[in-house]
Parts: sequence; structure tokens; C-alpha cells
Amino acid sequence: MTSPAQSVDGDLILKVVDLKMHFPLKRGMLQRQVGTIKAVDGVSFELREQEVMGLVGESGCGKTTVGRALLRLYDPTNGEVLFHKRDGDWVDVAQLNRKEMKDLRKEMRMIFQDPFSSLNPRLTVRDLIAEPLVIHGLASGDEITARVAELMSAVGLKPAYMGRYPHEFSGGQRQRIGVARTLALNPRLIVADEPVSALDVSVQAQVLNLLQNLKDDYRLTFIFISHDLSVVEHICDRIAVMYVGNIVEIAPTDELLRKPRHPYTEALVSAVPPADPLIKMERVILEGDVPSPANPPSGCVFHPRCRYAQDICAQDVPPLVQIAPGHSARCHFAEELELQGVAYDQLA
Amino acid sequence: MQAIYEDPIAAEAAEAEADAEESSDSYSELVWQRFSRSKAAIIGGLMVVMLLVLAIFPEFFAPYNLYQTALGDSYTPPTQIRFFDVDGNFKFRPFVYKQELEIDPVTYQARPKIDTESPFQVRFFVRSWQYKLFGLIDTDLHLFGLDTDEVRLHLLGTDRFGRDLWGRICLAGRVSLSLSILAALIAIVVGSSLGVISGYYGGSVDNVIQRFVEVVMSFPELPLWMALAAVIPSTWSGEQKFLVMAFIFPFLRWAVLAREVRGKVLSLRETDFILAAKEQGASDFRIIFKHLYPNVLSHVIVILTLMIPDIILAEAFLSFLGIGINEPLTSWGFLMKSAQSLETLGQNTWILTPVLFIVVAVLGLNFLGDGLRDAADPYSNL
Repeated sequence: MTSPAQSVDGDLILKVVDLKMHFPLKRGMLQRQVGTIKAVDGVSFELREQEVMGLVGESGCGKTTVGRALLRLYDPTNGEVLFHKRDGDWVDVAQLNRKEMKDLRKEMRMIFQDPFSSLNPRLTVRDLIAEPLVIHGLASGDEITARVAELMSAVGLKPAYMGRYPHEFSGGQRQRIGVARTLALNPRLIVADEPVSALDVSVQAQVLNLLQNLKDDYRLTFIFISHDLSVVEHICDRIAVMYVGNIVEIAPTDELLRKPRHPYTEALVSAVPPADPLIKMERVILEGDVPSPANPPSGCVFHPRCRYAQDICAQDVPPLVQIAPGHSARCHFAEELELQGVAYDQLA
Repeated sequence: MQAIYEDPIAAEAAEAEADAEESSDSYSELVWQRFSRSKAAIIGGLMVVMLLVLAIFPEFFAPYNLYQTALGDSYTPPTQIRFFDVDGNFKFRPFVYKQELEIDPVTYQARPKIDTESPFQVRFFVRSWQYKLFGLIDTDLHLFGLDTDEVRLHLLGTDRFGRDLWGRICLAGRVSLSLSILAALIAIVVGSSLGVISGYYGGSVDNVIQRFVEVVMSFPELPLWMALAAVIPSTWSGEQKFLVMAFIFPFLRWAVLAREVRGKVLSLRETDFILAAKEQGASDFRIIFKHLYPNVLSHVIVILTLMIPDIILAEAFLSFLGIGINEPLTSWGFLMKSAQSLETLGQNTWILTPVLFIVVAVLGLNFLGDGLRDAADPYSNL
């Protein structure tokens, strides 16, 4: 494909346009379709090379689905996922066939959330890390062992533990195995799906530092999915906030935290406890529950829980509008509202 | 002994070496560790192994030709093995007395009359009748026997044709066990394959297979088996009948397993490591055989050990009714066929001894299966 190449900047690696992932809701013996779950409904964003973008939101907002649809673990219902390949070509990931996709998997990989369930308990660490190499026919015999040893050292595991089984490792070590497996194919883009949320807080920092170092060493681009803003603010250059299948605000990390432009972001930011007990912040408590993506509310999906909601919010769907360079929000009153962010010195 | 290294690099290398030597328990080692902790499982395993040995080498354990009839010896009661002679003296080597049947003048019942004059010593590893080990190697070695033909040693008596019942039971074990193992294997292969396919692919494939499973499961088992076994032409050879029987039993049994395996695969399919395999670009074939199968295998092995005793019982039932295994082959159920006549059974109670072997086989396999089930998932609570 050549046409999108002309329309996007040179150092972009990923351009997602109107990505939709709808799941049919089936019932009964004959599996009649009785509804649609719009898990992801029109997500668009761009990603520059070596950038770390955070994707945050409550559970069920569709952030994991975005990650999986990008990697074609699900087949997207609609939209384009344009990826800038190593050889300079642009491809639409959503249109690739199985063989082409297998080839592309060398360049875009995923880190899974739960290090306990994402490693096959019947395989040794060596076999686990070597599996992508074997599948793609990139190495054989002693080469594999050497490469696995190299990868294990890179993620801070002793290569001597190669013959062990995953159950002999702690959560943090298992996640390192997962990271080594992801690195095996020398990817350029990694979708990290809540890579630390299953770990103890003390171990979270270690794994985050590891990812940070790997990002610099291997010149990686990350999409970092998380529900924890305090984790994301550490590692991300930009943050996209998702709510019921859509991005409601996207901005550079500092700006999003300090000057949120969407009431939902304000509520999320206020939920992060300040590191200093002397700082008093008003906690924005959201009323009600996250609406079901099978039956979202009319107009702005956030209006039933929004404390600034007005009549227009229930009727018109707000567009994602740019407020400042690189800062967009999906709210009718994005430019008018004075929203509370994180105190400046807290970020420093 | 700890060597002292002056050179830090050498010390580090030594440390790495020590780490490498640190053994790591593989899955099978972990299973064995847990399995060996259960006494019932070990006993069950020993029972099964014992029966298997008897079934593999029946000729070795049988003192008399298993295939030769001796009508004169029909329904001989079990010979008593003795360690004490009539005077109460202990003899290290077991012996038997000559025993003849005489008719009670009042009741006209046959009863054994023992001739205590001359003891005959039981010999071990004797050479008597010729047979082929594994059907290949000519030999005439037997575990035990007597030197003489004057007296016969029948541990468990004889059957209607005067053949040694102990030897016949061992021989019948060969058929009963191999038939049920073969039948269970067929059921396992068919059931687990369809189960994995059904669970992994889901959708309409799953729907078709599961509806079919439901139809199969709604068949009445015994009447179907009886009907199928009854239509085997009587002109067929024993081996042909054996094979057909081995296909009749799995006919309905695979269905339950297919459903269970499907359930397991359905839950595994949603786990992250299957998703991770897809994300790595693994083919369906690789996912099924490298990731799904090894993880349902423990369950399948357990089902296998629990299905075999079921089939042993079913086969015994059919053969007892005379619509299963027939002469020249014999099975535990078939051996008891003569016990159908109350008169014969009343006078020759020892012809029911195959029941003991069936009980041992079924109990042993159930113990073994239970032990395996507990051991199969070593990651649960170590």
C-alpha cells in the first residue's frame, strides 16, 4: 500500500482510524443474534516511533479489546490499522490474511496481563521463550539455546534456569519470562496489556523499570494498557483515556494529569492518591455504573454520570476535538469547563 | 567439599555451573511424587501389574497344557497345597497328596478321598509342555509343577473339559484385559479428538458434534451392545470376534469423554497461554497438539484407567450370556458361563473363581485411576 504513506508523517509507526470491534450477542440453540456489544466503537489515534502511549480506563471500557484488535487476535469489525513496517511499507493490519499476519507478528508483539495463565505450565522456560523462534523458523538447535540465554539475561533472569517450569518462578520472574518471549522476535511495537497489574506493588516497579530500559535499548514503541494512572504516568509520553469503547481524551502525560479537559478524566485523576499526605484534593466520586456497551446511553456516553451534563449531552454525540496541540477531548464543553488536575509539585 | 577460588571470574563460573546442575522436576516427576504418596494408588497399581504379568505369560504360570482337554479330569476340585504332613511335621517344600474322587454311598455326591501315603513335592521352574513365549520363542519352562503324571496339581480346580482353571483364568485375563484396554483406547482416541476439535473450533462444528454426542448418549447401552454382539456371525474366527467386540464397546463410550474434553478445552481456549500462542503466530495444529493436548492429557489418562474396569465388567456380562467371546478364546466372563447351571455351580463352587480376578482388576484399576486423578494436577497445591 502506498496511499496512506503519503498522508502520514515519516516517523509514525501506527495510525489507527475509526477502529470498531463489535461482538455479536448470541442466544439459544440456533445461536440467533440478539444484540451487539460495541466493545470498541470508533477509536482513532496515531503513534510515533519509540513513543510510549498509555491506554487507560475502567475495566470493561474496551482497552484490552483495542490491543487485541490491533494485533488481529480479534478481527476488527471496521476501521484501518496502518502499520509502518521495517522495510518502509505501510500495511493495513485489519486487511491482512493469515500468512501475511504471521509475518507481521515479528514486528508487533504483545505482553500479557497475567503471568500465571499466559505461560503454558507444561513447557520449560527454554521452550516458552523459544516458541516464537521455532514458529517463525528463525533458529534451530544450539542457536535457540544461545538466543534464549541471551534473552533471559536481557530481562534479568539467570540463563541457568532455562530447564525449569513456570510454576517454579515468582510472579515477577514469570512476567520477565513473558517479556523475554515477546522480545524474541525483535519487535518494534509492543502492546503491553496491563503487564504489572497482576504483580505485587514492590515487583511492579522492577518490571516497569525493566520495560523502560528495554525500550531504550531496543528502540521499542509501546502501547501500555492499564487501569492504574499512577503506573502509566511513570512510563508514558502520552495517555489516551477510554470510556465505553471510545477515547474520550488524549494528551501528553503531564498535560492530561494537570489540566484534564474531560470530566471523566478529572474523576480518574482525582482517584489517584497524592504521594504527599499534606496535599488536599477534592475527590470526584462518579455516580452510577459504567453503562453496558451492548446498550450505551444516547448522546455523550458519559452524560448519565457527568456532574456538568446539560441537555445537549443527552442528544448529540460530541466529536473528538483538538483543544491544544496534541490534546483532544470528546466533550461539548471541553474548552469551557475548569477541571481539577493533579497539583503541579506532585508531578515533579 | 567447597573449592576456594581466588579468581572472582572462576568463582562466578563455578556458581553458574552449580546452578545448572540444580535439578528441576519435570511434570512426570511431580506426578510420580504425588502418586507414590497415596497407598491405595500404589496397591491398585500393583494389583494391575500383577494381573498384567499373569495375562502376558499365562503359559508360564500354567502347569498343564492350557489348550488340551482331559475329560477324565472334568470338574476336579482345587488341589490342596500342604506344608504339614498327617503327623503335623512342617516341610519346607510344599507338597500335595494324591486325591481321588469317590461317590458317597448315601448322597451319591462326589467327594475327594486323600491318599496320605505318598506326598508329591511341588517343584519350581519345571520343564513340561511346550509353548511359544510371545508366540515366537519355543520354550517349556513353567513356574511350578509336579514331577509325576500320577497326580495332578490344579490350584483352582478344573473346568468342564478338565483344563486347569488357574491357567485358563490367566489366559482369559489376556483376552479380558487386552480387549478392554484396546476398546478404552479406541474410545479415548475418538472421544478426545472430537472433544478437542469441538471445543477448539466452537461454533457450528461444536454444535454438530455436541448434538451428535447427545444422540449417542441417549442410546440404551446394554441392549445395543447385546444386539451388536449377537449379530456377529458365528462362523467368524475368535480373533475377528475379538476385534469386533473391541469396536462395539467404544461405540457409546467415546461420547461422554468427548463432552468432558470439550469442556476442558473450552476453558483452556480462553486462557492467556492459548491466546499467547495465537499471538506468536502458531498454527491451529500446533496449538492443539503442543498446548491443548498436553493440558487435557492428564484428564484423559485418568478417564482411561476408569473406563477399562467398566469395559471389563461389560465384557464379562456379555460373555457370561454367551454373546461375547467364545471358544477357542476365553475371557473371565466366558469362564463363568458354566456357572449358569445351578446344579453345576452347587457341586463345583470353584468355577466362580474368575469373579475374584474381575474384582481385583476392577478395584485395582479404580484405585489406580483415583490416585492418578489426584496426582495429575501437581500444580494445584504443592
